[in-house]
Order: sequence, then structure tokens, then C-alpha cells
Amino acid sequence: MLEFDGLRKSFGDIQVLDGVGFSVRPGSMFGFCGSNGAGKTTTMRIAMGLVVPDAGEVRWQGRPLDQQLRRRVGYMPEERGLYPKMKVGEQVTYFARLHGLDAAAAGRASAEWVDRLGLGERRGDPVEKLSLGNQQRVQLAAALVSRPEVLILDEPFSGLDPVGVDSLAEALLDQVRTGVPVVFSSHQLDLVERLCDSVGILARGRMVASGTVDELRRREAGRVLRVVVPDAAPGWAAALPGVRVVSEQAGDTLLDLGPGTDDQTVLAAALGTGRVTHFAWREPSLVELFREAVAAPRTDEEVAA
Amino acid sequence: MTAPTRTPEQTPGSTALVRLVAGREISTRLRDKNFIVGVVLTVVLLVGILGFQVALNSGGGEESRLAVVGDSAQLGPAVEAQGEAVGLDVAVVELADEAAARQALEDEDVDGALLAGARPELLLNDRDSTMEAVVGAAVSGVAISQQLAEAGVDLSAVPEVEVTSLQGDDDAAEQQQVLVAIIGVAMLYGLLILFGQFVAQGVVEEKASRVVELLLATMRPWQLLAGKIIGLGVLGLAQIVLIGAIAVGGALAFDLVAVPGDLIGTVVSVIAWFVLGYALYAAVFAMAGSLVSRQEDLGSVLTPMILLLVVGFFIGIQAAAEPSGTLAVVTSYVPGLSPLVMPVRQAAGEAAVWEVALAVVLMLIAIAAAVRVGGRIYAGALLRTSGKTKLRDAMRGGRG
Repeated sequence: MLEFDGLRKSFGDIQVLDGVGFSVRPGSMFGFCGSNGAGKTTTMRIAMGLVVPDAGEVRWQGRPLDQQLRRRVGYMPEERGLYPKMKVGEQVTYFARLHGLDAAAAGRASAEWVDRLGLGERRGDPVEKLSLGNQQRVQLAAALVSRPEVLILDEPFSGLDPVGVDSLAEALLDQVRTGVPVVFSSHQLDLVERLCDSVGILARGRMVASGTVDELRRREAGRVLRVVVPDAAPGWAAALPGVRVVSEQAGDTLLDLGPGTDDQTVLAAALGTGRVTHFAWREPSLVELFREAVAAPRTDEEVAA
Repeated sequence: MTAPTRTPEQTPGSTALVRLVAGREISTRLRDKNFIVGVVLTVVLLVGILGFQVALNSGGGEESRLAVVGDSAQLGPAVEAQGEAVGLDVAVVELADEAAARQALEDEDVDGALLAGARPELLLNDRDSTMEAVVGAAVSGVAISQQLAEAGVDLSAVPEVEVTSLQGDDDAAEQQQVLVAIIGVAMLYGLLILFGQFVAQGVVEEKASRVVELLLATMRPWQLLAGKIIGLGVLGLAQIVLIGAIAVGGALAFDLVAVPGDLIGTVVSVIAWFVLGYALYAAVFAMAGSLVSRQEDLGSVLTPMILLLVVGFFIGIQAAAEPSGTLAVVTSYVPGLSPLVMPVRQAAGEAAVWEVALAVVLMLIAIAAAVRVGGRIYAGALLRTSGKTKLRDAMRGGRG
């Protein structure tokens, strides 16, 4: 288990993290979402020992991550970093050695990963001569080359074209299959929804929601009802008790039902206006969950475990 | 396939990490064309200086050529010896007869022709009092010793004069050592600036390319800094040792120095001061480099340090003229300036052993302080990749 536990950090007067905690099972992927400046990068940097937290710790298999344990973690920083003038193969070998592989093993692992990520022909080129997408692959190779037990990736998908996204996703899923816990942050919520077993949403230095996407849905589901009534007069639902109109556009209506409000009352009212072409509880997308979660400050009771 | 589990023993220790970083620095520089060109140019320059010295020593333009007809075996060396005594380089050319000598004179192949015999005659194109005196003295000297030998006088009984310099050392040899020390200090000054900048540029490169974040995820700042400084230091040391070896080898081969032991001593002291100077400046340059995040900003933070080196260099030159002057004596203790001044004073024979020891101790204290403070600032500033970092913020941001 990879555990982030009660992380707190402030820079000067600004409280960046205020008790961030979540855990990731081996062989699962954790998507870390949050608006810009929410504290995702700081959280990951704490895990990598680049920022010292004011309180809390990160544990892997029950042991706090220290300098030694961190060498078993593959890391991709938010701001990509490679030696621009160093050759691709040598660079990847160098990072393998820094993670503790001996010269021969590092050379083999480097050749293997460079090939696997489709950079075989560019092995002897300096990194600065590569396209941005290929540099990103080198970055990934640097993170994977030491056969890490844990992967922590800050915005790994940013700047990739759809093909690049797919191949990176495939590489990460490969890692998950070998039992590696993967944590990555991303603004591409559709991707998080597609790839991740569980999701955490960070806002204002706190985890405002975490769990599987389904769990999050269940919490939100049962609240928003979509009713399409083409013939209804505008404002047809406004007078219904316990119902708030979220949006209404040419009969396509989103309704927020208060607790204890019977959906069948709504259906009856809808039928009263004429034809009903759509009536269903709406599955919120992760985007909506995210908007909802980061929109307003919540109390601690509402934060899911 | 399962996630591999590794024992902690397999994770590299500090030594291994420092060695890895140092190895990367060395191999990167060795494959940098500009660096190699720089080294080659320095060596060529040095060989040029040596060649110039050789040319100067062998007289060059000041040489006079004298043709000798008959008996050149005795007169030749005598003329050369006399010439040396008055500072005239005379090269003796043996010619067959008077006609050949006159021809050579007319062609200006020689400056004078000496017709040896019972009544020696000196032929000159233009009158030349020095040449006349030299030849005259040589001829009479040879004649006198011949006559004495014929009279049965044992010339080996003539006592030789033993030379003792009251200054303890030969003045000319000392001057030579000071010259060597100045050349050495000039090299040391150049290499300190060069390698100091390498350190600073390396630090900024890692910061600017953000690779430092990846590096610091596997090692501590001091390990990264130590590897960088040691790696570049080994290169710098190799370069100054190479230069020293060429200088000593060349000087010995061409017989340029009076006392070879002194030369080697001076070269060794310059190299030792390079090591101390580099340790101090590398730590300071690394600290300065860590404060900025772009190569363009590097100049502004390095200028004060480079100015200090320039000042030290000029004091070093000045110390050659006045090795026991107040300025030279005081600055030869000041850490940072001492590597550029003390070698000159040592070469001039003006520094007692305790003075050198004191300067070294002060320097070591300064190095310890620079490594401590500089290392802390470096560690604190490394991950601040926006603009320039203030010293105070960097000190606070250290993460041990």
C-alpha cells in the first residue's frame, strides 16, 4: 500500500496542503485531480523528498519513504527535466544507475526501454534534438528504467498528441499489471475516468473527494434528473415542490431534486405538459463531479474516506 | 512478472552517487569540443612560451659569426668563452684559407675572420670594438697558456674561485623562479575562472532544464554538489598537472633553468594552491549559480567573484616585483587571494614556512565555511526555478 497520510505544508502565510491523505493499492491506478494551485505538485514533491512537509508522511509498504526507499520510486516531475545535450541512451542509463542498477544492468535496461518506447533510432541523439513528444518518452523511460516499485507521475499526459496519450496509457497499464501502484495527476478528466481505479480530487489543500469513480457517482447520483419535454411551456417545473431547476433549454430540463422528493411526481407533472421524450437520472461525468467538488468549500463530514 | 523487490544493500551509497555524478561531469567535458580545443590551445601557448625562451637563450639575433682560419681547435672555444664573458654570443666557423674567409666576409656570411698563425690577423667589414676585444683576449689567452705550457708550468695548480652568494640563493635563479611562479599563477588564475564557471554553468544547466528535480529525487543536494565539484576538479587538476609536466619537462630538456629542483618546487606549490583555490571558488561559484535559473543571469552573480580573482591576479603580478611589500604580505594570507599571491612570494624566497602554513590553514577554514554555507544555499535554492533567488530565502529553504 502506498499511503499519503495527513500531509500539511505552508509556504509563508499560504497554507498549500491542509491534511491531504489517500492510499493507493499495489496494481492500481490513482488519478489525482484538482484545479491549478490546489497542491497536487506539492503533494508529489513531498513524496519524492523535494519538499519537506510540516506534518504527515508518505509510506510504502508501511515504511516511511526515505532517501533509500525513494530510489525504488519512478518519478516524472511536472516540469520535464533532462540534460539537453546528453544522448538519449546515456541519459536513461545514467538515471538507471542513480537508482542503483550496476553499469551492465543499467545499459541493458536503458537499451530495452529506449527500444520499447520507440526511440531505438534516436538513442545516440542529444535530447535537445528530439521533438517534444519524444522528449516526453525519454522522460518516461527515465522513470521506468529502474523497474520502480511505485510510480509517481506529475501531469504525464500534458503536451502529448492522442497517439502519444494512448501509448503512454498502455505503458502505465502495463506497469499496473505487474503490481505497481501508479499515481498520476492530470487535468484530462476523461482520461482519468478511463484509466483510473480510483480518483482523488484536491481543492484548496484538502481532499474534497476520493474513491472509485463509481463511488463518487453514487454519492452524486440520484440528485440530478434530466427530463426532455419538447412541448412544455418554459418554467413548467419551477413550481414543483422540492425541485430546483438547474437548466432549461427548449424543453431539455435538468432538475435537482431535494431529499424526499418523489421523482414520480415530477414525471406526472412532465406528462401533464405533453410528450416526454427522455426521463432519467443522469450519470454525472467526472468533469461534473470535479466541478461540484471544487466549487464550494465543504465541511469535513462531507469528505469521503 | 512481479514488481521486483530490491534489498537496501543494492541502493547506491553516497560514495557511489558522488562517483556517478563526477563521472558524468568528466565524460561530458571530455566530449565537449570547446573544452578540448581550450586545453590544446593552452598547451600550444605554453609550448610557444617555451620555444620563445629557448630562442632567447640561444641568442637569436645577437649572435656574431666569426670565421677562423687555422688552429680553430684551440682558438674557437677560447673565443666563445671570451664572448660569453662579455655577453656576446660568438659562433665559430672554421674555414680553409684566407681567400675563403675574405669571400665569406664579403658575402656577409660572417661578421669577422681571424687568420691564426704566428701573426694573427682579424679581418672585419666594419670595425667592431667588442669583437676586437674578444678576439684579442682569446688569442693572447691561448698564446699565454701555450707559452706557459712550453715553459713547463702546471696550469692545473691555478686555484679556481669558489662562488658563494651572500643572499643564500642565486639571484638570477630566484628571478627565474618568480617568472615561473607568475606563469603558474596566470595559469592558475585562468583555470580557476574556467572551472569555476564550469561549476556555475553546470548548476544553472541542471536548474534551467529542471533535471535537478529528477536528480534530487535520488540523492541529496550535497552529493550532487560534491560529485560536480570533484568531477570538474579532477579535470582541472589533470589540466594543471599536464601543463606543469610539460613546463618542467620542456625546461629540463632545453636546459632553461639554473636549478631544476626549485622549478619543480614552484610548480608543485602552484598545483597545491590550485587545489585549495579551486575548492573555495567551486563552492562559491556553485552557490552563485544556484541562485539564478537562466544562463543569461549567471554573469551578474559571478561578477563579484571574478573581480576578486582579477584583483588577486594583479596583486600576484605586483608581488613578483615586491614580494615583501605590505600589500603582497597581507594578501598572501587572505583566503581567496592567497592562491594567487603566496606562490609568487614562495618562489621569491620571501615566505617562511610558518607563513605558508598560516595561509593554508586560513584557506582551509574558508573552504570549510564556503562548503557549509554555499552547500546550504545551493540546497535551498535548487528547486526555486523562477527568476533569481534571494540569499536569505535560500538559507531558509535548505532541506538538509
